[in-house]
Amino acid sequence: MKGIFVDFDALFGHLGQHTVDGLSKGSIYALVALGYTLVYGVLRLINFAHSEVFMIGTFTVVGTWSVLGATDSPAIGTVILLLLAGLVAAAAVSGATAVAVERVAYRRLRRMNAPPLIFLITAIGLSLVLSEAFGIWQGRLVKGMPTVIERSVLFTIGNTEVTNVQVITVLAALIMMFGLDVFINRTRYGRGVRAVAQDPDTAALMGVNKDRVIALIFLLGGLLAGAAALLYCVRYGNTRFNVGFVLGLKAFTAAVLGGIGNLRGALLGGLLLGVVEVYAATLTSSAWEDVAAFVVLVVVLLFRPTGLLGESLGRARA
Amino acid sequence: MLLEIDNLTLRYGRIEALHGISITVGEGEIVALIGANGAGKTTTMRAVSGLRPVATGTVRFAGEDITNLRADLRVIRGICQSPEGRGIFPGMTVLENLDMGAYTRRDTAGIAADLDRVFGLFPRLAERRKQAGGTLSGGEQQMLAVGRALMARPKLLLLDEPSMGLAPMVIQQIFEIITEINQQGTTILLVEQNAQQALSRAHRAYVLETGKIVQEGTGQELLTDSRVRDAYLGVA
Ligand SMILES: Nc1ncnc2c1ncn2[C@@H]1O[C@H](COP(=O)(O)OP(=O)(O)O)[C@@H](O)[C@H]1O
Ligand SMILES: [Mg+2]
Repeated sequence: MKGIFVDFDALFGHLGQHTVDGLSKGSIYALVALGYTLVYGVLRLINFAHSEVFMIGTFTVVGTWSVLGATDSPAIGTVILLLLAGLVAAAAVSGATAVAVERVAYRRLRRMNAPPLIFLITAIGLSLVLSEAFGIWQGRLVKGMPTVIERSVLFTIGNTEVTNVQVITVLAALIMMFGLDVFINRTRYGRGVRAVAQDPDTAALMGVNKDRVIALIFLLGGLLAGAAALLYCVRYGNTRFNVGFVLGLKAFTAAVLGGIGNLRGALLGGLLLGVVEVYAATLTSSAWEDVAAFVVLVVVLLFRPTGLLGESLGRARA
Repeated sequence: MLLEIDNLTLRYGRIEALHGISITVGEGEIVALIGANGAGKTTTMRAVSGLRPVATGTVRFAGEDITNLRADLRVIRGICQSPEGRGIFPGMTVLENLDMGAYTRRDTAGIAADLDRVFGLFPRLAERRKQAGGTLSGGEQQMLAVGRALMARPKLLLLDEPSMGLAPMVIQQIFEIITEINQQGTTILLVEQNAQQALSRAHRAYVLETGKIVQEGTGQELLTDSRVRDAYLGVA
C-alpha cells in the first residue's frame, strides 16, 4: 500500500534499519547537545557559538588527516591511527576553542553583570564571526575528505544490517556520555559543577572557584563537540564552514527536547531526534526531516515544557 | 583579633548598604550582629565571605588583609558561612551537601572525623544521609547548613539567621548546638533577628541600624540596655 505522500512500506518494511540509522545519527546530536546543556545548566546561557566549536572540530579532522596523508580505505592499523589522531586533535582544538570563547567573550560580560540578552547577542555574533572566518579561510564550498572507514555490514539482525560506522558512532558516543555522567555525578570536580549549577553563591561559600568550574564545563563541552566532529567526518565524509549551523540547531533542539540542563536528557533528546528524522525522511522525503524534528520539539514542549526529563543539573533554581 | 572589619562601606549599584562599619571578632568568641530587616546584616556577611566587593575599608582575617581575596580562597583560610535561607543544594543528598562543606579539604581522615562529629551534633542528618537536600524540612535544612559549614573545619563560622522560619523547639535546639560548637573551639559570628537568644549566647554583640553600627557591648549589657530592649526584644 503506497500512499501518495506517505510511504509506510518504506518505513515499516525496514523499521529496524531506520532505527539503527537514526540512533547513529542521533548520537552525534547527543554529543553536541551535551555542550549546550552543560553551559546552560551552570550559566543559564545558550552558547550559540557552540555550533562553531563543533565546526572547527571537523576542520581539525580534515587538517589532521591531510597532514597524516590519509587515503581512502587504508589498512586497519592506519584506520585506528587516523581515528585516534583525529579524535585527539579535534577534541583538543574544539576544547581550546570553547575555553577561549568563554575567556574572550563571556567572562568579561559576567564581570560586568551584563543582562542575559547581551550574552545571547554576543553568542550569536561570535558564532557568525567564527563561521564566516572559516568561510574566508577554508572557502565556502563543501570540503571533502578521504573515506577512512569503508562502510561495511558488521552483522545482521533479521533484515536489519548494522554497519561498522554505525557501531563505532553509537558506541563512542555512549562511552563518552557514560564517562561524563560518572565525572559529573561521582567526582569532586563534578560535585563542584553541580554546586555552581544549583546555587552559585553557596558554592562559592563552600570554596568552589566559580571561574574554574565555568572554564571546566566549556572545556568538557568542547571535548565532546570535538569527538562529535570526528564521528561526523567518519559518517558524512565532508564538512563546510557553515556545517555547525544546522547541526548546532538540531543539537540544541535535542538538548531542549530532553530537558536542557539535564545530561541524560541530552542523550535521550539526541537519539530521539535522530530516529524521528530518519523515520520522517523515509516516510516522506528528506526535505521533511527538519520539519519533523521541530514538530516533535513543539509537541513535546506543549505537554512537557521542561523537556522529557526536566532539568537536573540546576534543580535549585526552580 | 581573628576578624577585623574596619570602616567598611559597600554599595549595591548606587545605593550604599553599609556606611563604614567596624566589627571585631576575637578568637574563641561568639559575636552577635543584631538588627532589623534590611539593616545590612547579610550584606556584612557577604563582604566577609567575599561574595560582594567592598567599596572602601578593609577586612582582615588572622592578621592578613583579605579585603580583595577571592571567596573560595577565604574558605581555605578558614572562613565558612551558613548563609541566610540555608543555601542547601537541593539536588544533592545530605551526604553530598556535607561533602561540599569539605570541598577545599584533602585530609580524608580528618573529613571522616568531622563527618562523625556533625552526625553526633545532628543525629537527624545521619538518619537522612541519602535523602535529597531539597526534600528536608526547614529545621533539618538549617541543621544541614550548619553541619555543612562545620565540614570545612572553619576557624571562623559565619551563621546568618540560623533560626529563621523555624519552630520554637527547633530554634532552642539550634542555639544550644551553636553554643556547643563554640565550646568545642570554633569562633562564631552570628547574625540574628532573634535578639533575645543571640544576645544571651554571645560574648559580645553589635547593633546594626540602616548600615551603621549604633551600639556595641557584651551580650549581657545589650540584653539589659533599654534602647535595645525597646527596639529588638519586644519588651516595654
Ligand atoms: N542584591 C541586592 N541588590 C540591591 N540591594 C540589596 C541587595 N541585597 C540587599 N540589598 C539592600 O541592602 C540593604 C541591606 O540588606 P541586607 O544586608 O539583606 O539586610 P539584613 O540582612 O540586615 O536584613 C537593604 O536595604 C536591601 O534592600
Ligand atoms: Mg539578612
